[in-house]
Amino acid sequence: MKGLAPLFLGIFGTFAFSWVGLTVLPNWQIGHLNPQSDEEGTDTYPQPQSGMFERGARVYAANGCVYCHSQQVRPEYAGADIERGWGNRRSAPRDYIFERPVFLAKMRMGQDIANIGARAPAEQQSPPPAGAAAPAGSPAQQVGSPPPGASPAAAGSPLPASSPAQAASPATQGAAVSSPPSKPASASQSPSSPSPKPAAPAPPTGVASPSPGAMANASPGATTAPSSAPQIAGPPWPEQTIGEPPMYSAAWHHVHLYSPRSINLDSNMPAYRFLYEKRRIRDQRSVDALQLTGSDAPPEGWEVIPSFDAKCLVAYLMALNQSHPLNDVRSTGGAPAASAAPSPATAAGSPPPSPAPAK
Amino acid sequence: MNATGIPLKEPSVSAAAGATEQLERAYIDASTRVPVLMFYTSAMAWLILGTLLAGFVSFKLHEPDLLSNISFLTWGRVRPAHMNVMVYGWASMAGMGTAIWLMARLCRTVLRYPLLLVAAAGFWNLGVLLGVGGILLGDSTGYQWLEFPGYAAIILFVAYTLIASWAVLMFRYRRGEQIYITQWYLLGAFLWFPWLYAAGQLMLFVVPVQGVLQSAVGWWYANNLLFLWFGAIALGTAYYMIPKVIGRPVYSYHLATIGFWTYALFSSWTGMQRLVDGPFPAWMITASIAAMILSMIPVATVGLNHHMTMQGYFPLMRYSPTLRFTVFGAMSYTVFSVIGLLISLRSVAGYVNFSQTSIAYSHLGLYAFFTMVIFGSMYYIVPRLVGREWRYASLIKLHFWASAYGIGLMTLMLLAGGFLQGADMENPSLPFSETVETVLPYLRGRSLAGILLTAAHFIFAYHFGLMLLGLGRTSTVPTFLNPVEAETSGGH
Repeated sequence: MKGLAPLFLGIFGTFAFSWVGLTVLPNWQIGHLNPQSDEEGTDTYPQPQSGMFERGARVYAANGCVYCHSQQVRPEYAGADIERGWGNRRSAPRDYIFERPVFLAKMRMGQDIANIGARAPAEQQSPPPAGAAAPAGSPAQQVGSPPPGASPAAAGSPLPASSPAQAASPATQGAAVSSPPSKPASASQSPSSPSPKPAAPAPPTGVASPSPGAMANASPGATTAPSSAPQIAGPPWPEQTIGEPPMYSAAWHHVHLYSPRSINLDSNMPAYRFLYEKRRIRDQRSVDALQLTGSDAPPEGWEVIPSFDAKCLVAYLMALNQSHPLNDVRSTGGAPAASAAPSPATAAGSPPPSPAPAK
Repeated sequence: MNATGIPLKEPSVSAAAGATEQLERAYIDASTRVPVLMFYTSAMAWLILGTLLAGFVSFKLHEPDLLSNISFLTWGRVRPAHMNVMVYGWASMAGMGTAIWLMARLCRTVLRYPLLLVAAAGFWNLGVLLGVGGILLGDSTGYQWLEFPGYAAIILFVAYTLIASWAVLMFRYRRGEQIYITQWYLLGAFLWFPWLYAAGQLMLFVVPVQGVLQSAVGWWYANNLLFLWFGAIALGTAYYMIPKVIGRPVYSYHLATIGFWTYALFSSWTGMQRLVDGPFPAWMITASIAAMILSMIPVATVGLNHHMTMQGYFPLMRYSPTLRFTVFGAMSYTVFSVIGLLISLRSVAGYVNFSQTSIAYSHLGLYAFFTMVIFGSMYYIVPRLVGREWRYASLIKLHFWASAYGIGLMTLMLLAGGFLQGADMENPSLPFSETVETVLPYLRGRSLAGILLTAAHFIFAYHFGLMLLGLGRTSTVPTFLNPVEAETSGGH
């Protein structure tokens, strides 16, 4: 090749072409989306998140959660994401407009967690935040009225086949979580896990205190002991084998982060114990203390409490929720197949129950 | 020139050009000595560190409780640390070392402004060090391939500006009108990188784009770094080393031209194929898949060109370490591209998108292709810098086979494991933990492959250390992998 000019021009030209085509044009097309809202201008989605959310996202980035967990639900024709219960509709660009960084991610050594906040038990969303320091910031809880009554019934229907215990239990949990029916994998686990464990061990002291923040959700679990945990899982999220805080509650997240294998023996998630502090109990057990069982439980007189980073991380997780319908995306089971996916959002077809960050 | 008449390491051109040119070349080589060795030595140190981190990452993935209570050793921090050490520490520094040497040789002028390069190497090391430290201490930005916190990124960019300006300066001092193929690629790499890096940093951190576009920019950056930075350096190096070692000109100049421009045009448009079915406008993804398909044109032309150049000379791979590594790398380029194409087709991507397959793909590109070519070039260049020949043929052979089997095994494990993992994931009646169970044995296999690679790198580092200390052989004949006397007819 003779002459530098054509070489330089070509080098710049080809690259400029790619830069404009793949970053500038898309930015022009979808780089300035606004939240959607209904005619009255209410029910805006998505909404900017709290400070704890942002800090939680930084903790999420710092500890590389993104290398194992994706946060994107593919459309039903493209994969089994929706059947697995990872969401009730595909993710859309608008879901992410307030997130930075965005953690779409490319790897699923762990589950997709785009909607993990939508799975929190309904109780979690109202009572505990009362005094609790930990979850207070998490937007997930602000929902005023937990819609426990109605949905579980719906949710219950697909399930009972698998185990009668479950049919009953969802009621307690408000099964906001529920699930597509697909497969009752959890069924096998439900009998085994609930066993006696959950009732007794660590928490008792904590439960004693009446308004035990995060611990609150232990109490419902304890009363209906055996069935509490698993039924929430619903078929596609059967991962819980042991442990008692209701799945996907803030307390559960803390236990899971502190000791993943105490909840699911097969998990290969690392434990994040450095986000927690083991300390001697002062006069009274902290309301934040983790409900640990078995070999993870701290010795008598000690407790494990989450650091502020851990609380932010959990607040972040609890706020991951794409169940709100989007105008430009079809939700599965929207009108027709309601039975298929009674998940939060379907219920959310009507505005109120949607776990959208109210306020 | 050597006793047996096999034109190993002694290009035919030199026979014609005679002693003056030999001398001139030796003079140029000597002038590159300090900066290039500085880049190589740093790169070797990063390679060893990165290898240790890699082993740690690989084992922790199936033994999650290993040292997990220490914040800076948690898997999610060590993994990006490993990746960044390899990408910015090892691959970039070794690649730049080779590129600098090639620039001086091909511009046929002694290396000017060596201090610029020495300073750049220093800054670059500092940047990587701070960046990796930052990641381990919890400062990662969370964008894959751009995890370095801002303070490290700035230093890297400054270092890079020094190098790019050096490259442009060198180009002005060049002698001769002809610009050789290798120089196209190197010039491209030197100019694309700063734009790419600046665009990535600006669009993610300075004036961040909204929402999912961050991911698009991230993958655009990562993919182009792979193709336009590492790929361009490796292809340029292969275009130099293969003809040089066998002493024969490149088969077709026209093919090379087509290969270069289609490469620049099409491979720069890939990247979005990794986001198949994600929350993006479909045209972006489709455009990248189309670009992946069109990328087969440069793959075919470059592959054909190298093959035709090598035609009849393949037996020389028995002797020349450089040739063996370089040809392995050049062949891997084809494999890498074909597999890249297969896993980005929508029907396949649906299965493998979120599995270990993408790890296999990156390792094919960065290791089987790029790193092997660079190993080859180091076997060629280092003796010319230190004035000694490699000491042990056996160590070179060990290095080659451990690397080749290591990366081969790793790729197979991750591809097979990834496909099974993906297939399980698409079967909603299997609980999710089953998909992890499925892939775990393959991850253990990958750890095994990692042990081979670790051995390879330690062997090479030891050998390289001997050379640095002046403990190589003093000889006029380069170190061959096998005794040359046995077979004399390298010609066909």
